[in-house]
Formats: sequence, C-alpha cells, structure tokens
Amino acid sequence: MLLDRLRAILPGLAVLALLIAGLEAAVQAGMIRRVLMPPPSVIGATLFDLLASGEFVEPLMATLKLVFAGFAIGSLIGIVLGTAMGWWPAAFRLFEPLVELVRPVPKSALVPPLMLFLGIGFTMKVTSVALVVIFPVLLNTLQGVRGVDRVMLDAARTHGWGTAHTLWHLVLPAALPFVLAGMRISLGLALVLAVLAEMLAGEGGLGFLILDMQRSFLIRQMYAWLVILAVLGLALNGIFAALERRALHWQNRNA
Amino acid sequence: MRRITSGTWLVLGLFALWEASARLGWVDSPNWPPVTEVVAALIRDSITGELPLRVGGSLWRMFSGLLAGGLAGVVVGLAFALVPVTARLFGVVVEALRPIPVPAVIPPLVLFLGLDDPMKITVVALTVFFPVLTNTMQGVRAVEVEAIAMGRTFGIGPWRRAAFIVLPACLPYVLAGLRVALGLALVVTVVAEMIAGEQGVGNYLVVMQFAGRAPEMYATVLLLAALGYALNRAFVTLEKRAIHWWFAMGR
Repeated sequence: MLLDRLRAILPGLAVLALLIAGLEAAVQAGMIRRVLMPPPSVIGATLFDLLASGEFVEPLMATLKLVFAGFAIGSLIGIVLGTAMGWWPAAFRLFEPLVELVRPVPKSALVPPLMLFLGIGFTMKVTSVALVVIFPVLLNTLQGVRGVDRVMLDAARTHGWGTAHTLWHLVLPAALPFVLAGMRISLGLALVLAVLAEMLAGEGGLGFLILDMQRSFLIRQMYAWLVILAVLGLALNGIFAALERRALHWQNRNA
Repeated sequence: MRRITSGTWLVLGLFALWEASARLGWVDSPNWPPVTEVVAALIRDSITGELPLRVGGSLWRMFSGLLAGGLAGVVVGLAFALVPVTARLFGVVVEALRPIPVPAVIPPLVLFLGLDDPMKITVVALTVFFPVLTNTMQGVRAVEVEAIAMGRTFGIGPWRRAAFIVLPACLPYVLAGLRVALGLALVVTVVAEMIAGEQGVGNYLVVMQFAGRAPEMYATVLLLAALGYALNRAFVTLEKRAIHWWFAMGR
C-alpha cells in the first residue's frame, strides 16, 4: 500500500525535482539575481549545516511549544464552550452574541493590543494562538453536538444516564468528527498566528528568524529556515491527519 | 427585531465593566482607555479621513488578492479535477507549498516585489488560492455524471463542457471556498501590512501600538471587527442570490 502511494506521487515528485533543477540552472545562468535567490544547492548546503550543527533545535522547539500550548488551550476552551452551547439553550443564549462579536475580528489584529498587556513574552504569543484556535473548534463542536441522533439521546435517557455520563460517552464521541474537522482548520491557523506573533514580538522562534535573516540580508539562511518551517507545517498536518484517521476508524468502517 | 436575551446583557455588561474599570481606576493603565474614549477616537479618525483612507487601501489590496487567488484556484482546480494528468504532475508541488504559514512567505516576497501593493496582493492571493482549489476539486467530483454525459451526447466540446456544465454545477462549492478565503484574506491583509511597508490598517495598528495611543489602537480593532462582520454578511447575501437554485433544491 505504501508502495502504491509512492508510485502515485512519483510523477509529482519528479516534476518538483525538475522545477528545483530548473531554478538551479536559471540562477547559475544568471537569469535570476543570485542575491535574491541563491541556487537551491547553496540553500541545501546551508540547511544541512543548520541541521548538522543542531542549531535548528532551539528555534524549532520554541515554535513547536508555542503552537502546541496555544492549540491545546484554544481547543479545550472551544470544545467546552461549544459543547455547553450546543447542549444547554441557556448557555447558547448567554454566549452567542459575545461569540458573534469576537469571531469576525481578524485575529491578527489582536496581537498589538495583546502586546501592550502581556508584553512580548510567551504569554502573549500563546494567547494569540489560543484565540485563533477557539472559534473554528467552538463552531464545529456546537454543530456536532446539535447533530447527535435524537434516538440515541432518548435511548440514553431510557437507560437512566445522567447528563455528565451522556455528554462524555455519547455526545462527545458522536460529535468527534466535527470537533476534529474544526481542530484541523485551527491547527493551520495556529501556525500562522504563531509565526506572526514571533515576527512582531521580535525574539526567538522560526518566524522571528525568517524575518530577522531577511532584514540582515542573510538570504541563504532565510530560505533554509523557511524550508524548516515548511517541513514543520507539513509534519503537523500529517500527524494530525493520522491521529484523526485513528480516532475515527469506526466512522470509515461504517461508511 | 430580536428580543434582548441574556447574551445581549452579557455583552452590554462587559462593555459597562470595561468603561467602569477604566473610569474608576480599577485598572490603572495607559493601555486601558474607557470604551467611550475608544469610540471617540474612532469617530475622530474617521472624520479626519485617516482611517477611511487606510481601510480603503486595505480593502483594495484584499479584493485584488481575492480575485487573483480565486481565479487561479478555480482554474487549477478545474484542471486538476477534469484532467487527472495535471493533478498527478503538479499536485505534489501544490501540496509542498500549502503547509507554509503565510506570514513566512512575506520576507522572501519582499525581496522580489518590494514592500507595496504587488507583494501584499500576492500574499493574499496565495492564501486564497488553496481553499478555493480544494473546494473546486470537491465540487467537480460532486457534479452529476449524467450532466456531463448528456453534454457529451449533445456533442459539446470539453472546453464548453467545463465552462457551461461543470463550472455552474460546482459553483456552490467554489463559493463556499471563497467564503472561507474571504475571512482569511482580511486576516492576511492585516498581517502583511503589519510586517512590511507603511500602508493600510495593519500598519496603523502597529504604529498606534508603538506610539502608545491605546484608544486609536482599540478603535482600529473595533473597526476591523465590524468590517469582518459586514464582509461576511454581504458575501452570504450575494451567495444566496447567486446560487438560489442550490438552496431551492433543499441542500
């Protein structure tokens, strides 16, 4: 099966390799200015140095920690609030206007005010990431909780399940596909906000390094760090997709 | 007219708490102006024309990027879905670019396109491209096989089939992708303006933050919230009008 997948993407990989080779040739031939776009082979060598010297570990870990912490906090708030709003109409009435008020704010615009209050440290960055994560998770959870089969809820009541038991053992598992879909959207946004917060705060992390390298005109290094960040994005998506498949294996079997 | 619910009271209560905490000195900080001062700043900057001018510039960049990225997304999506060879050849390249967080492409783009409109429009277009591409491909897959077969029976060529049968049929999916993209586009426009150059609302936010002018900064956030809300509302209305047949089918 892995072999089949590999065969399916082989032509695509070949095209990618060709494009990189073409870029290399174009730069070497002087068609693209070397100062702006170093040849891929040079970027590759820089990347290798970063990896071999272990220099990449600290910034990568800083960004990873930020994304994970913000993603976890935001997801938790989104799931709890979404479940409450989907389950108790009173909670929905109470929070709906507030949610509708904050939701359309482009979350990137909240970073400057947050910097005034929380400084430029970890707290500010985590809060920025968590804020952008909350809403997709919340809305999807709400939708999932409301979509739970009435017959199953009646059955739970017939069996004398209490509210907490019903929520934990019936509603949340049934809403899980929706919750996870929301979390997948949020994960991408979390990385965007993490990089932005790092750039604006100006200390540490992959986002800061990329901007800093450009401003110091260390162009090779800028591209090398960008590759590391892209791989991080790819890895996070891949890991989440795998976890999602595992968590929802029952759904695929029934479908 | 909507009834005033507990939620409306909560929002009003929070605003009142904000005002009181600043006026009565519960939170004593130059970063915490009363909400009335924020509204005053909003009105002041609107009258001087500073904010409307900057918002106008941001909106122009956002819509240019939305148009460019949306068109590219639809065209590539149609190609990938209708001509599988293209997807096999270029799918990997697209998937390799997709996971790069947008703010990170700004520094390299600055090198090539500078700090102004071309760079920012490109960043927005890049953001918009991916959701529209994904949705267009999904939409094409959902087109009824009979519709395409009928077109073929009537001797309609592949180009015209793509334009007059497939595209209208997958329009609801394209529009759903565009709606997602619209929200992202506003976020990214602000991001690009914050990181590079001296244009637009994003830059205004950062300048006000550095200048320590909190009322102006919050006023800008409020304005952006209203803008985000209005854009989404307007889009949903246009969407309903454009694909009323889709909703009429009860989907």
